[in-house]
Amino acid sequence: MAYRWDFAPILDNWQALAAGIAGTLRLFLVCLVLGLGFGLLVALMRIARQRPLRWLAIGFIEFFRNTPVLVQILWFYFALPMLVAVEISPFMAAILGISLNSAAYSAEIYRGGIQSIEPGQWEAARSIGMSGFQTLRRIVLPQALRRVLPALTNRGIEIFKMTTLASVVAYVELLHQGKLVASLNFNPLEVYTVVGALFFLILYPLVRATYALERRLARSD
Amino acid sequence: MYSWNFAPVLANSDLLLAGLWNTLALTFVALAGGLPVGLALALARLSGTRSLSVPAGIVIEVFRTTPPLVQLFWFYFGLPIVLNVEMTPYLAAALTFTIQSGAFFAEIFRAGIVSVDKGQREAARAIGMSSTQTMARIVLPQAVKRMFPAMMERSIELMKTTTLVATVSYADLLYQANELAQKTFRPLEVFTAAALIYFVTISLFSALGALVERRMAASGEMAAR
Repeated sequence: MAYRWDFAPILDNWQALAAGIAGTLRLFLVCLVLGLGFGLLVALMRIARQRPLRWLAIGFIEFFRNTPVLVQILWFYFALPMLVAVEISPFMAAILGISLNSAAYSAEIYRGGIQSIEPGQWEAARSIGMSGFQTLRRIVLPQALRRVLPALTNRGIEIFKMTTLASVVAYVELLHQGKLVASLNFNPLEVYTVVGALFFLILYPLVRATYALERRLARSD
Repeated sequence: MYSWNFAPVLANSDLLLAGLWNTLALTFVALAGGLPVGLALALARLSGTRSLSVPAGIVIEVFRTTPPLVQLFWFYFGLPIVLNVEMTPYLAAALTFTIQSGAFFAEIFRAGIVSVDKGQREAARAIGMSSTQTMARIVLPQAVKRMFPAMMERSIELMKTTTLVATVSYADLLYQANELAQKTFRPLEVFTAAALIYFVTISLFSALGALVERRMAASGEMAAR
């Protein structure tokens, strides 16, 4: 009565899954760059001296951290086109939702890193004639980024996992392709096992690398 | 220019509230299941017995490293085939999120337990406590206090993750919003309202958590954030 596993139909459909992996990687790379890049900008706004900038950043961070990312994706996909009269593709909706969400999270990571640099370093750099921007770029950021590197790679791993949510708006990524293969061959057990295993094989080395990075930074600091 | 009209949303607010109720119910069930599962996994991983620590380590790493939506699909579509049972969206979601949050809680428990000074354990053993007594009376009470901020954060993550059940047709807040948007042809208002409900609910819980944290910090022995 034991179930007989049969992975042959999955091997026959490897091209569909490969196309899914390509879609996942494409979405991941775009969201990684946009999310972590925009996050740094939001962090700088968050610690800016001008009040309106600070409030804007706080509002953005709080809103995007305190709502589920799937709600954000669906909002951009179904609700935004009502407002701006443009066609939003599944790819676009997923990029907007995941990037802005990751920007809010990474902004708090950057802020923690920047604020962990002691004020004496700012004062020293200013006293030898550097501008505020020069101090930030040459003195504070290089050290801060080093300290928050493990937290950022963790964020990257979260972004990779979040890309599966794009399947809900029918963007062609690995889980979406898995759904397709499973419905054609009536083999959801094998397909989702393989999809899960693929994610694990891609992400686990990154998880291990993050652990190693954390240990190294803990030793050198 | 689009003219906003929230009247259809307000007229159907009972649907959204029923969804919110289901979201909260699922969160609490997964939390109530996830905490003991997490503690058990953490104790197994720290046990020093390989036949316990290795399987616990595998469960923790697999559930932390794979996307929750893939896990949910596996439990909903895959597991019934292995076990030959009927699976409901609710059961699949409760199972997935219990084990998944358990895996994350396990790492929080582990960090908390390891953070308690080894000397305390040795002292407790020296005055004749068994290792279970030492864990229950000396180590865990201190560890739990230190773990609280991380636990709170994880619980809020859990509440946000429960939105995934909408994809297997469990009537949570997001699913209800999606239905309502199709019924009223007002996706902008409906999804905006749903986002706001999540925002208010989650902000409320994190404010509550921060309050408890301050109380605990005032009584000392709290990890700084």
